[in-house]
Amino acid sequence: MVDHALRCDSRAVAGNKTNMEQAPTQALTDALCKVAQHRDKRAFAQLFEYFAPKIKRFGVKQFGNEALAMELVQETLTSVWRKAHLYHPDRGAATTWVYTVMRNASFDALRKMKSNKEEHISEDIWPLLQEEQMADPDFQDHLQSKQIQDYISKLPLAQQEVVKGVYFQEMSQEQLAEHLSIPVGTVKSRLRLALQKLRAEIGDSND
Amino acid sequence: MIKHHPTEQLLIQFSQGALPATLSIAVAAHLELCECCRIKVQNLEQSNAEALFTDFEDDMAQDEFANLFEQITANDDIDMPKGNAPQTLNYQNKTIELPRAIANSQLSSFVQLGKLARARLQVDDGELRASLLQIAAGGEIPHHTHTGFELTLLLDGEFSDESGAYVPGDFIWLDGRHHHSPATESGCLCFTVVNSALHFNKGLSKLLNPIGNLIY
Ligand SMILES: [Zn+2]
Repeated sequence: MVDHALRCDSRAVAGNKTNMEQAPTQALTDALCKVAQHRDKRAFAQLFEYFAPKIKRFGVKQFGNEALAMELVQETLTSVWRKAHLYHPDRGAATTWVYTVMRNASFDALRKMKSNKEEHISEDIWPLLQEEQMADPDFQDHLQSKQIQDYISKLPLAQQEVVKGVYFQEMSQEQLAEHLSIPVGTVKSRLRLALQKLRAEIGDSND
Repeated sequence: MIKHHPTEQLLIQFSQGALPATLSIAVAAHLELCECCRIKVQNLEQSNAEALFTDFEDDMAQDEFANLFEQITANDDIDMPKGNAPQTLNYQNKTIELPRAIANSQLSSFVQLGKLARARLQVDDGELRASLLQIAAGGEIPHHTHTGFELTLLLDGEFSDESGAYVPGDFIWLDGRHHHSPATESGCLCFTVVNSALHFNKGLSKLLNPIGNLIY
């Protein structure tokens, strides 16, 4: 399935996509985007239904244990629900992203079995943040400000969406309105409310 | 140009999460320096995903997952990723940026012995031990063999041994069949993973034992 050549030739392992049974790749990718952008439960249900049994089957093979396999299903799908905003469709299919989320959860679980320590080092090894985001100094600034992240995550979802769109993805308010299918006025008012709350929380010192 | 890469087998295991933590960190750090291996791993992850997630046989009944769906979606919070503060290291009068995978791990402070200095990575990984190793200009590690393996990822500077000269990003895997005596003219910083103390096989070996222990 993969080439064992020693020299470094990326094409040697470039996917074997030819005679693959047709997975609903596009539909899954669309669903993941809907979860990311709108916290769309029906879209998540679609992902859930597709991936849960497959992750469980993998977990049973990996751990030889039904309960641990169910934990893997829970860990993975919880992360899919809570971290979908880190997924970018232009960087690969949703199936690949869900695989990496599952692989990371499984890695941490295996380490926990061995060392009995609760730690999550998989994210240090395989960051879920995409490379462009990592390279983007603005994005880094925001992320480094852990405190601000915490405050943002406490905002109502509709406001979080707007703050992230404008400050992390650097969309204009007009682009964001179109993207979220809401009037520009709503974007403006949500942003205003969110910034008021953030200022109140953080204090005036950062102004 | 980087000439020494992880083997295909290592990359496959890495992509599956099947390598020990310290070796995974080493491969991840190499990928940060080597675009070619980075693309390979992306492709591997894609094929792994296709192999697992396009298999439709015996998908189980959904009822056993019903509560789980409710439980997960009951909470609307999102998780922000860990911020990756770029971490710099001062060594031999310069400041360099460490690969993220290494910078995100806890490091002990440097212990010095002659021209060598080592800081251990605080990652519990069985018999495997990972360290940052500095060799000052003109320094060398005396001729030795390995009972296990020794992985060296050159992060900065240069060194050479009987097989040639190395550049930053080179991923050098040696096992019991190899013996060498690396030396550096201008100094270097490496990330190493070893699974046993080094064995010195030329004279005065007792005097060198502290070095073997330092490096392990
Ligand atoms: Zn490489």
